[in-house]
Amino acid sequence: MPAKGVNVSHGHDIRVSGVRLALGDDPPLDVLGGVDLVARAGEVTAIIGPSGCGKSTLLDVIAGLVEPDEGEVDAGGEAALMPQRDALMPWLTLQDNIAMGARLGGMPQDEARGAADAAIARVGLEGFGAHYPHALSGGMRQRAALARTLLGARGAWLLDEPFGALDALTRAGMHDVLRDLRAGTRPTTLLVTHDITEAVALADRILVASPRPMCITDDIRVDPSDHHGTAHHVLQSLRMTGVMA
Amino acid sequence: MTTLGTRATTSATRRPVPRARLRGARRVVLALILPLAAIVAWQATIWIAAPREWMLPSPAGVAGAAWDARDRLWFHAQWTIVIACIGLVLATVLGGVLAYAIARSRTARLAVYPWVIVSQVIPLVALAPLLILWLPPFAAIVMLAVLMSIFPVVVAGVDGLGGTDPELVRAARGLGASEVWTWRHVRVPAALPRLFTGIRMAAVFVVSGAVVGELVASDRGLGALTRLSAGQFETPVTFAGVALLALIGIALFGAVALAERIALPWMRRTTRRGS
Repeated sequence: MPAKGVNVSHGHDIRVSGVRLALGDDPPLDVLGGVDLVARAGEVTAIIGPSGCGKSTLLDVIAGLVEPDEGEVDAGGEAALMPQRDALMPWLTLQDNIAMGARLGGMPQDEARGAADAAIARVGLEGFGAHYPHALSGGMRQRAALARTLLGARGAWLLDEPFGALDALTRAGMHDVLRDLRAGTRPTTLLVTHDITEAVALADRILVASPRPMCITDDIRVDPSDHHGTAHHVLQSLRMTGVMA
Repeated sequence: MTTLGTRATTSATRRPVPRARLRGARRVVLALILPLAAIVAWQATIWIAAPREWMLPSPAGVAGAAWDARDRLWFHAQWTIVIACIGLVLATVLGGVLAYAIARSRTARLAVYPWVIVSQVIPLVALAPLLILWLPPFAAIVMLAVLMSIFPVVVAGVDGLGGTDPELVRAARGLGASEVWTWRHVRVPAALPRLFTGIRMAAVFVVSGAVVGELVASDRGLGALTRLSAGQFETPVTFAGVALLALIGIALFGAVALAERIALPWMRRTTRRGS
């Protein structure tokens, strides 16, 4: 069951077809070179590729923050984007930061605070609602950012290397938190990462991205009974794309 | 019973001085070193050079003259305080609005910002007689105080509004925030620490602006008092007026710093009070 105030739809695919985008003017830099992908409803789809290939820009396009030059995007409703860093507002308490997601969804302030309290409990941060972000550890802030995304999500989650800045132990804990948050509602999730192990551990499918201008070169279904084999497959695909030697 | 009571008393008397109080005392002592050294050097100059009192009075002479002229000093100080406070409030409000317009609109940035900078190149002392000619004295002096203090508020505000962490903006927009919402709830709060730095600087400059106006166009205020007392060779009173001006500047600076502590609790506390 979704937490109180959570308004997550899990019945929509995210569809991207022929998306091209160049940034800058002199000269324009081709960032997206005709991206086609489908993230299926209720699944976690990981995009893995080299740094700077345009993965974050693609998420910005899907979230509607950047208009593509060509192509079509259907996010299946409004998507909530979680940036790489926790990006919590330093002047808001943890409760108000998390409630921000719900308030932006049109929920009144008091109701949003109630929903935030429920979300705080879901990510195991009870007792920290009145704390400001700088008083918390990196892992705790990242949990709060996930909770904020949970309340803000109306159609899909777009996670941009959400655990990239965390140490290995904290990251493993965050994987459990993410699985727990998705359980029940199973929002359509697009996860950008550069970590093969993370992609295999969390995703149902892995899309391999080429260097800039980015396009999707492979679509690999994760075999839950053979994570090692899937990781090997992804590695081979990255090698063929020219990302790795 | 008696033994226990005695023990409790002994334990209470031996309780170590809290570290925060020690830190506070250390800060006061460090802050007083320079002025005390200046007073000692000043008194030593008096002993060695023995100048006439109208040229350089002794610290004790100044203190005595300040006490004797306390009513006169307070009469003039009130005027300066009122002008400085009005000037600071206007500089904060106008400077904040200007900074917002410049940061928000490219047109305003191109049309207004260069002239805000140019306005600081014109010496206020040269501008003062013109303002006195055009405006009533009180308004002219307030205008001078505003002109002197608005610049740091505008510059700090523009830098603060333009320097918002892009990831904070991306996070808000990624949750569906509109441009207007992002300005109100992300860019403006993020700019407040820098804006307060500008207001603290303005609190010091505004007193200088008020004094410039009083020197030129008023028979009231500490600027006017220093001009009149120096003209009548009442040098100890002039010194007392200058010292009072410094105290007003420090008090305004402290008031802004206090307002900053109250307005930005997240800069100092880990939790909201009462939660």
